[in-house]
Amino acid sequence: MHTIRHMTQFNRWNAALLCCVTAALSPSFASAQSVGLPAPRLLTTMPMGGAAGSKFEMTIGGDFLDGVKTLAFSDARIVAAPKLTAEGKPEANKFVVTIDAACPPGIYDARVMTRLGLSSSRAFSVGTLPEVVRTSPNTTTATAMELKVNSICNATVASRNVDHYVFEASRGQRVLVDCAAKGIDSKLIPVVIVADAAGNDLLVERRGGALDFSVPADGRYMIKVHELTFQGGPAYFYRLILRELKESESIVRHPTTSTVNSFSWPPQGLANANALKEQEPNNTGAEAQKISLPCDITGAFAPAADVDLFEFEAKKGEEWWVEVGSDRFGLPTDPAIIVQHVTGSGADEKVTDVAELSDIASPVKVSSNGYAYDGPPYNAGSSDILGKLTIAQDGRHRLKLTDLFGGTRNEPRNVYRLVIRKAEPDFALVAWALHMELRNGDRNALSKPIALRAGATMALEVVALRRDGFDGEIDLTMEGLPKGVRAAGLKIPAGKSRGIMLVSADADAAEAFASAKFVGRAKIAGAEATRPCRLASMAWPVADAWSEVPWPRLLADVPVSVTGAEPAPLTITPAKPEPIVAAPGAKVTIPLTLARRGEFNGGKMSVKFFGVGFEQAPAAEIPLTADKAEVVLDLAALKTPPGEYTIALYGGAVTKYRYAPEAVAAAEAARSNAEKSVSQVEQELKKLTEAVKSAPPVKKAEVDLACKAMEAKRKVVVAALAAASEQVKRASAAAEPKGIVDIVVSEPILVRIQPAEAK
Amino acid sequence: MRFFISASHRAVFGAALALFGPEIEQGLAVERPSAISFTNDVVPIFTKAGCNGGACHAKAGNGQNGFQLSLYGFEPGEDFEHIVNEARGRRISQTAPERSLLLLKATGKLPHGGGVRLKETSDAYRIVREWIRQGARSDVGAAPVLTALRISPAHASLSKRQRQQLQVTAVYADGRTLDVTEQAVYESNDRAMAEVDEQGLATISDIAGNVAIMARYQSKIAVLSVAVPQGSELDATPPTRNFIDEHVFANLKKLAIRPSPVCDDATYLRRVSLDIAGRLPTEEEAKAFLADPSPNKRDHLVETLLRSPGYADFFAGKWTALLKNRRENTGDITANFAFHAWVRDSLLENKPYDQFVRELLAATGTIVGNPPVAWYKRVKEPKQQIEDVAQLFLGVRVQCAQCHHHPFERWSQDDYYALSAFFSQVGRKPSSVREEDMIFHKRGLATATNVKTGQVLKPAAFGDAVPEIAADEDPRLRLADWMSSKNNPFFAKALVNRYWKHFFQRGLIEPEDDIRDTNPPTNPELLAALEKHFVDSGFDLKELVRVITQSNAYQLGAHPNESNIADRQNYSRYYPRRMQAEVLLDAVDHLTGVQTDYANLPPGTRAVALPDSSYNRSTPFLKVFGRPEGESVCECERAQSSSLAQSLYLINAADIKGKLGSPTGRAQRLATSKEPHEARVRQLYLAAFAREPRGAELKTALTYLTEPRTDAAGKPIDAARADRENLQDLIWALINTKEFQFNH
Repeated sequence: MHTIRHMTQFNRWNAALLCCVTAALSPSFASAQSVGLPAPRLLTTMPMGGAAGSKFEMTIGGDFLDGVKTLAFSDARIVAAPKLTAEGKPEANKFVVTIDAACPPGIYDARVMTRLGLSSSRAFSVGTLPEVVRTSPNTTTATAMELKVNSICNATVASRNVDHYVFEASRGQRVLVDCAAKGIDSKLIPVVIVADAAGNDLLVERRGGALDFSVPADGRYMIKVHELTFQGGPAYFYRLILRELKESESIVRHPTTSTVNSFSWPPQGLANANALKEQEPNNTGAEAQKISLPCDITGAFAPAADVDLFEFEAKKGEEWWVEVGSDRFGLPTDPAIIVQHVTGSGADEKVTDVAELSDIASPVKVSSNGYAYDGPPYNAGSSDILGKLTIAQDGRHRLKLTDLFGGTRNEPRNVYRLVIRKAEPDFALVAWALHMELRNGDRNALSKPIALRAGATMALEVVALRRDGFDGEIDLTMEGLPKGVRAAGLKIPAGKSRGIMLVSADADAAEAFASAKFVGRAKIAGAEATRPCRLASMAWPVADAWSEVPWPRLLADVPVSVTGAEPAPLTITPAKPEPIVAAPGAKVTIPLTLARRGEFNGGKMSVKFFGVGFEQAPAAEIPLTADKAEVVLDLAALKTPPGEYTIALYGGAVTKYRYAPEAVAAAEAARSNAEKSVSQVEQELKKLTEAVKSAPPVKKAEVDLACKAMEAKRKVVVAALAAASEQVKRASAAAEPKGIVDIVVSEPILVRIQPAEAK
Repeated sequence: MRFFISASHRAVFGAALALFGPEIEQGLAVERPSAISFTNDVVPIFTKAGCNGGACHAKAGNGQNGFQLSLYGFEPGEDFEHIVNEARGRRISQTAPERSLLLLKATGKLPHGGGVRLKETSDAYRIVREWIRQGARSDVGAAPVLTALRISPAHASLSKRQRQQLQVTAVYADGRTLDVTEQAVYESNDRAMAEVDEQGLATISDIAGNVAIMARYQSKIAVLSVAVPQGSELDATPPTRNFIDEHVFANLKKLAIRPSPVCDDATYLRRVSLDIAGRLPTEEEAKAFLADPSPNKRDHLVETLLRSPGYADFFAGKWTALLKNRRENTGDITANFAFHAWVRDSLLENKPYDQFVRELLAATGTIVGNPPVAWYKRVKEPKQQIEDVAQLFLGVRVQCAQCHHHPFERWSQDDYYALSAFFSQVGRKPSSVREEDMIFHKRGLATATNVKTGQVLKPAAFGDAVPEIAADEDPRLRLADWMSSKNNPFFAKALVNRYWKHFFQRGLIEPEDDIRDTNPPTNPELLAALEKHFVDSGFDLKELVRVITQSNAYQLGAHPNESNIADRQNYSRYYPRRMQAEVLLDAVDHLTGVQTDYANLPPGTRAVALPDSSYNRSTPFLKVFGRPEGESVCECERAQSSSLAQSLYLINAADIKGKLGSPTGRAQRLATSKEPHEARVRQLYLAAFAREPRGAELKTALTYLTEPRTDAAGKPIDAARADRENLQDLIWALINTKEFQFNH
């Protein structure tokens, strides 16, 4: 862990506890400060879930969680209240969570409301089994923790350690040992081992699978858990599930969060079930399963090197759309399809390739994870299939479906769904907080919740996956925003895949949060279609992009918050709210108002433009010392046709940022109180010391005792003073101005280009 | 066409060997030829004279001094071009053949870096000259094709110091045969046992055993296998426990080599624990085993060891080094740990060997999702892939065949490229992890181009026909199918030979990954039986270890008798060997009671369980004792030789001293225990040697432990310190014994 140079989890009640928790959980403020203003991040919870209908205590940890009061979930059936001390005061970073008995098992998101707004989300699991939290180290066979079959244990693994558990089982019993880790946002790549009572390994699983253990004899067995490369720490948490299985019961794994590319599954209107089942054997031409189009088939890529063949009749000129879901279910598969026209049979059979379908390309360039930022590290593409099949000649056709990753693997859980349909034009949307090149190598700022400082505008990058030839424009809207927050969608133009959503907070907005509704609207075949836009975010801030790959997932909902505790350093707004009207081909001047609430490095900032028709405009410059500015756009060069446009400016600026300066005064006051206590106690002690000297022999023992008690008290207050002084140091260091580069986005600007005058 | 040299022409070659090969001296009168064959008469002369060796005109690049010949004359068409047409034809003078540059150089009349290769009086000279005189014509493609080479005798039992003249006959496609004894080139596979001269006269030395002599002529080879008996009758061998014993003892009987008797329990316990689990037995294990009266206790011990994770750890270390699990930068750690763990887990669950190899060869996906993909991170080029696969899993070294016909093998360049075609459809797409590709099968017909001929080749496995592979079928799976077929001549053989070497120190074929017709096994029947047993068991590695370690052949004592003292290849006794670097370090840790600490691994991790090569840098002990770096697929990368550095290390290195003097170490623990000296010595001997100390040893040790000690000034030192230091000294002495450092 990095050293801590600031106070991330302010705790006015328990400074000592604070030191322990922050030291363990918080990444370096020093390394976080260079790119991206501090963003609140909920990084750990203990436990990471609970049983429906239960109530339990939860401890949280993360970055910039000062003043946490509220722990909220993506589902109203899970609620939390601060844990109170015996004196009725809230205990730092502790909550009591209650899960409604009617809450269905699954993965939800937890987040906390902080001084800086609503934190990033952390996965929270709801299950049906009783849960426990590992409380003492269990890193040797001798200290193995006792677990009951049919229970879940929440724990973290420490660096270079192996956690040990024991359980009792009887011969013939079938026990599932599952370990939820990456699927619940943990950094742990789990290795799970079932061993005999002496710790000799019997079964090992390292690829994220579950162990299906048939108990060979009555007795005690051991489970060991460690990280693949023996890394560990608070970020390496896991839920160990020990569940008895019936003889014929199929394995159901612990639920997981959704991968980014799963936003495009399922296609609109796909039936939940009742799909046709793949019929094995269908590996050879002679065994090909006969189907008719359209169709919807479920099947599995098993056994190893499985080939699934389907045969259908089709006529020349027919057009079909073929979609396969498998990778998007979170499975490690790479489906591939070959469609061939077939004539003859047996030795006389002749096949001609008609189509070869493989990966769904990301609609926008994905980051190469190199040193320089070269695109969002969110892959909206997939190794699944979505493509068009045009029949070239009448007759029998054979579709061959294989898993390019399945040559040697025998895993019946690797299932797929194959849909062949007539064109049903449609789209699916996903969005994430926009990032741009601010400083090479930095990926820390990728992990950002939509937590707006008052007066801030945040840009979300929105990507559409278009289906079955749909190429219309898509309008983007956000509703249900917290008070003081507005959103403006910069539409995805016809035929394109990228749009921008601007979320702005009023300069006087007060603390608020809400789960917003984010949708895209388009006309499909004359009818209005509304589709949800899923939000993706990073599971972790990545301080060192060289050693850790940024790792995103979909969020359960779209949490948006605003806070007034710290205003945005700069707000750029159009000087007037009315649209700027311009003639086609003219040079249009956009007057801007700059509200500066801090100092900046350098006198100006280079800006580029969001918005259809304006993205190609050359970079302009905005002064960082003035209250007003103008940018000029050459419509002739841009060739922007007449119409109504929403645009915005964006760029990077280095602000001199002070973190929570008010905390310094509070810490100083606390230190002053501590000093007073020390002085008081020392005076008392002095008196007692004198008293001991002059006490008559009969009183001596009594006075001596009082003196010793005061000595002890002095030690306590001196220690408290040291802690308070340390806190002043930390708070002062954090409040020292530091240069932080961040993205500055203007509020939306309306531009109206008039139709050309008729001559 | 009629060949110039008939069977009756037996030239006498000089015995003197020049640095670059023999010099051909005067021969007998030569029959006037009607037409000389460039392919069958002239080219073999260059081979015999050493002109077209790899160090001379066949040197890769440009031959010598701009004159290039094909290696051993495997490409007569190219040779003709170089001799006759290249350099504006200046190497040949048809008007005055003896003035040809070729002959002037070869006879040393003009300065020649290679010296005199042909004497003017020799048949060879006259043949070349006559060929030039006849017009220096090419018959490449038209000359009768050599189809086989025969050697007579092919098998022989020869006594020590006996001589044997070989006769070598070339067989041509038209059915004709020709005595080529003079023209053939000879080589012994073990010069300590037999030598052979240029005329094919073999001379046996004083060592009993099996030896092979290879004869090469043009592109063909033939081998004589010789058994050299010890010379005395063999009365009895230990009882046979399984088929291994039958074959080993039958061979010993044939050679009349008397084996050492079966070893005692302590030796067996220590030996088999080291060989299967790479560790010394604990004191408790030793005590229990020695006290166990059960007649089957050795078999039970093997079962226990095979079930233990130590077996998987130890053999995973062996395999991962061969599979090049090396750390080149810190980012490799996940891939390396995952790959090592996959190997280890596969061994632990006793995954059938053919399945293990299949998963490796045809790996697809991501490294974390499917760790054998890591192999494709380290071995990226199809050529490197087939070279590694062939050497490691088939025991065939095909590297040579990339550029020319394999000199000691039947493998051609076509064989090489046809094999590489299996890896031609390995697709790669970037993963989110830097420098790690996702591997998949890229649709398309698998082919490879012979860079020399430009011919496009379909996949073929060493000449074995592979049925048509469709474009959407992964050819690597078909290669795996071919390997694991019951009749595959290489796959099982290579593995059982490799494992045999692990337990017996010497492969039945040596080196273990150079299996070829010209390098026959010392006990072919045993190799065949092991191969069959392994295939029949379903490629069960644990069963192979079991059958080997339960045999009496494996259990023979290491002490030689006068009959088998010279034996190094017939397994008439156990050949002691120094423990491997990791095993020795673990043994030192075990005896001193102080575990070495390794980065990124939990405390208590044993050196045999280290996942990759990076620990050689952080732990000098491993480097000094030769732990391999994972640079090659050859077991020879592991240095098993002894060195002064090793001796000095064990005597004097700081980390050894640290272990001896550690406050948590065994010496300290023993010193503070209430046990009497004798019990302490017994414990140390059990820990080090898995046996009780012998009377004299105990006496010496006790004397040392009870000797009063003084400091540098001659003053007595306090009893507790003296006790501790005496014990440290005793442990130090035990570590530095051969009995400790060797498996015997």
